[in-house]
Amino acid sequence: MRQAKTAYSGFLSGGGIPRRHDPHLLPLARIKKIMKKSSVDVKMISREAPLVFSKACELFIEELTKRSWNMTIQGKRRTVHKEDVAHAVATTDVFDFLIDLVHPNTSHHVDLNEDLEKKQ
Amino acid sequence: MDSQPELASKMAMPAVQPSIPVPIQQADGTFSHFALHFNVNMQPSDAQAPPPQPASGNNECLVREQDRLMPIANVIRIMRKILPPHAKISDDSKETIQECVSEFISFVTSEANDRCQREQRKTITAEDILWAMNKLGFDDYIEPLTVYLHRYREIDGGERGPMKAAAEPQAKSFGIDDVYRTGHRLFGPATIAGFVKDSPNAGPSRPVAGFEPYAKCKE
Repeated sequence: MRQAKTAYSGFLSGGGIPRRHDPHLLPLARIKKIMKKSSVDVKMISREAPLVFSKACELFIEELTKRSWNMTIQGKRRTVHKEDVAHAVATTDVFDFLIDLVHPNTSHHVDLNEDLEKKQ
Repeated sequence: MDSQPELASKMAMPAVQPSIPVPIQQADGTFSHFALHFNVNMQPSDAQAPPPQPASGNNECLVREQDRLMPIANVIRIMRKILPPHAKISDDSKETIQECVSEFISFVTSEANDRCQREQRKTITAEDILWAMNKLGFDDYIEPLTVYLHRYREIDGGERGPMKAAAEPQAKSFGIDDVYRTGHRLFGPATIAGFVKDSPNAGPSRPVAGFEPYAKCKE
C-alpha cells in the first residue's frame, strides 16, 4: 500500500498521473482553457477530458513531427522548417483541418506541392 | 555601474524579459537592482515562465498567448523525443506545431461538444473526446489513450473514496466508483470495444460481469 500512497500523493501535488507511471507533458489547466474557447457553448468539462487530451496532444505532436521530419529528409536537410510541417499537413488526410493554419494563402493541395518543389 | 554589462553577460539571461527589477549582486558583494525591459514582440521561446501582461489597455482585445497555446518548451520536448539527435528544429516550425496543437484541441472538442448537445448532456467527458477523435479519423490514438486512462483510473479509482452525490452526477464523472454508481455509461474495455467495433483495433467484447478491466495494464 505504501507504493500506492506514494503514487496518490504524486497525483495530488503533480496534478495528474504519478511520475512512476507517466508524467504529464502538457498542462491540464491550459488544455481546459483551450477546450472552453473552442465553442461559445462549451459548458462543463469532466476532469478526465483534459487528461485524455494531454496524452492525445502528445501523440499528435509526435505524428506531426515524424511526418514533418520525413519531408525534411526528402529535401536532404537536417533542420525541420515550417514548409516541412505544411507539406506533412498537405499530404495527410487527417490533418486537413490544419491546412489554413499552416499555409493560409494556399487553397489547393496541388499548388502547395508545386511551391515546395520550387523552393527545394 | 560598469560591472553591470559584465554581470549581464555572465548571467544566463532568460529569453523572456519581464518588467520587474532583478537584484544583481555586484562584484563588491552589494546588491543593486537592474530593471529589465519588457519586449512586447518577443517570441515564445524555450523560456519556462510566462511573461507578465503589458500595462497598456489592449489586454481586453488580445487573448494572451499563454492562454491559447501549449507552452512551447513542452511542445519542443515532445518533438525532440521523436526526432533523431542530430535533427534541428527551426523556430517557425516549433511555433507552427504549437499552433496546430491548439487547433487540434479545438477541432476535437467542438465535435465532442456537438455530440453532448445532441444527447442533451452538459458535460464533455473523456469518452466524448475519444468518440470525437475516432470520428475525425484519429482512430490510431484510441488504443494508447484507452490504456492511459485505465492506468489513471487504476490509481485514482482505488484511492479516492466515494464522492458526494452531486445535483448533476455527470458534472463529477471522476472516480470509477462514481461512474458505476451514477449508471453513466461505463468507460471500460467493453465500451471501447463497442464504439470502435468497426475499427481493426477493436478487441473482443466481453460481458461486464467477471472481467478484469485492468488485466492488460498490470505490469
